Amino acid sequence: MSRGNHRIWWRIAWRNLWRNRRRTVFTASALSFGFVASVLMIGYMDGIVEELVSNGTRVATGQVRIQAEDYQPELSIHRTMGGREGLDVDALLAAVEAQDGVTGAAPRLYGGGLVSSGDETVGAVLMGVDAAREEAVSRFGSALVAGRMPGPGEIVLGDAMAETVEAEVGDEVVLVAPAADGSTGNDLFSVSGIFSVGVGAYDDSYALLEMGSLAELMAMAPGRIHEVAVSVERIREPDIPANAIREAVAAVSPGLSTEAWSGFLDQLYFIVNYVATFNYVVAVLIFGMAAFGVANAMLIATFERRREFAVARSLGTSGGRIGRIVIYEGILLGLFSLAAGMALAVPLMVYIHNNPIDLSRFVDTYSFVGSAVRPLLTVEYSVWGPFVSALALVTTGVVSALLPAWRAVRIPPADVLANR
Amino acid sequence: MREKPTAGRAANAVGATTPNGGAGSTPGGAGGPAVRTEGLWKIYPQEPRPVEAVRGVDLEVAAGEFVAMAGPSGSGKTTVLNLLGGLTRPSKGKVWIGGREISELPDRELAKVRLSRIGFVFQSYNLLPVLTAAENAEFTMLLQGVPARERRERVRRLFAEVGLEGLENRMPPKLSGGQQQRVAVARAVLAEPALVLADEPTANLDSSTAEALLDVMEKLNREKGTTFVFSTHDPRVMERAGRLIRLVDGRVEE
Repeated sequence: MSRGNHRIWWRIAWRNLWRNRRRTVFTASALSFGFVASVLMIGYMDGIVEELVSNGTRVATGQVRIQAEDYQPELSIHRTMGGREGLDVDALLAAVEAQDGVTGAAPRLYGGGLVSSGDETVGAVLMGVDAAREEAVSRFGSALVAGRMPGPGEIVLGDAMAETVEAEVGDEVVLVAPAADGSTGNDLFSVSGIFSVGVGAYDDSYALLEMGSLAELMAMAPGRIHEVAVSVERIREPDIPANAIREAVAAVSPGLSTEAWSGFLDQLYFIVNYVATFNYVVAVLIFGMAAFGVANAMLIATFERRREFAVARSLGTSGGRIGRIVIYEGILLGLFSLAAGMALAVPLMVYIHNNPIDLSRFVDTYSFVGSAVRPLLTVEYSVWGPFVSALALVTTGVVSALLPAWRAVRIPPADVLANR
Repeated sequence: MREKPTAGRAANAVGATTPNGGAGSTPGGAGGPAVRTEGLWKIYPQEPRPVEAVRGVDLEVAAGEFVAMAGPSGSGKTTVLNLLGGLTRPSKGKVWIGGREISELPDRELAKVRLSRIGFVFQSYNLLPVLTAAENAEFTMLLQGVPARERRERVRRLFAEVGLEGLENRMPPKLSGGQQQRVAVARAVLAEPALVLADEPTANLDSSTAEALLDVMEKLNREKGTTFVFSTHDPRVMERAGRLIRLVDGRVEE
């Protein structure tokens, strides 16, 4: 049959669809609202994932980290990059930043110690940083609630720690830390700032110092660092730049381990994949429910047209052709519903994305797998969500038409024409 | 004076005949009957007793005949037409269309036989309501794969002949009963079938419309040699038929 002849079957299907406008509009509405619900739900879940990944990796860790191969899991202060001799940090940073997709790299020195002020003492993770470079990698700088990032002889505390030791900006605190030479370093540091990133693990326990000051306290030679934290453009796809970084740093110094966040934040990675799978479940549930309604409406429509199918069969229309007309109706219903759903979903998506609904009246900011989640109902723009939803919608239209099509194919022409 | 339609060319139009060769063969060879049945029964299983709608009908209609099947309501006329057209399967007996035995054919093959050889006209028109008059008339040609230009040309010519000119784009509900039945006849004959089966085609029409419709069908019979088999209890149709077959209680009345 020629292409022109094919058009008539689509035309018949389209006209059939509009014979009962009210029923078609109601049926299409079920699919359209299903589409809107699916798009917004997936967008919302994507928003949560985006926030989890963003907060989980942008607060402190970065999306890629480079450490000495033997630094994990003991986190010994002696296992610095390049061994006890250290390495050319500037050359390493330059090699990392030369890679596509890398937006920043910051060297770090870690230690453990006690922070004391007056009668209060608290255990702390001491982090030596390059304040300028941290801006591109972590949120400590932007999360300062008072003061500024540390210079030589200065310290920045998390707000919970500052509260514990009752320290404020301008106060002095005593820092005691085991040093690399076996001694115990101790010194007075002036509190230059207080940060609050919203994640208990950091706000309770982290203290930031200027890299040289911490190295001196821990008797570490310049050039000895424990980590380079790297930020990348596409935070949910860090493996590609991580592979390039791995090759680049191998040329600078052997014995380094380069890992994307999907490796070192494995719980977060699990949650991200779980949510992605859950999105499919959401689509299946929403459209699965819609399918029953659509199939029922199409069954009724098919039953009402039994006589027409019988006539068409009498005239020599094959059963397959009859079935295809009903399937075409399902496809057209799906496409119409998709158009209506898109017209509704896109403006809603844009509006909610730009005007997130604040739920802080009902829920506080909470920490989840080491990441802070704000109580905001927002949706993330994505192509994938609408694509999956559109595919599910049209599939629902087709699947819902299968039973009615099968019924239409099996109509006995003579009996139906005789009203038997 | 109206010309009498083609009379039966078969010597023994009603009565038992012996198939010449069995299933799939052409009884009588080329130029044989358009349709033939042998020992045709149709029994509907029904409580408390099965209904014997057709009881051992043997008939033969030659190509080009204009035959009416008459009988009271419930005599089995429509059932016989349905059996001849392969719309339902006989409980017993055989049907040959153009020499091909169709009783045992699978549904797909039966659809092909109907498409290529048989046109149907129904008592209640049965136009497809979502198609225009012209699209309805084209429908069977469309199934046959006749090119669009040729379809349109055939429709244009026949619509002009049967007085449907200018109504091509009307939807069925906007047509009168007579106009709808003429579209139905056009649909049946435009695909140029060898056999047209018409189930009480004039039953819902007034006298003048019925006469006009019969004129159209006679003309097609005369000019194109199309074989017509009607079921009817309309005296006007019986009077104009080339041959009359009477059915009573599912049997051909001798």
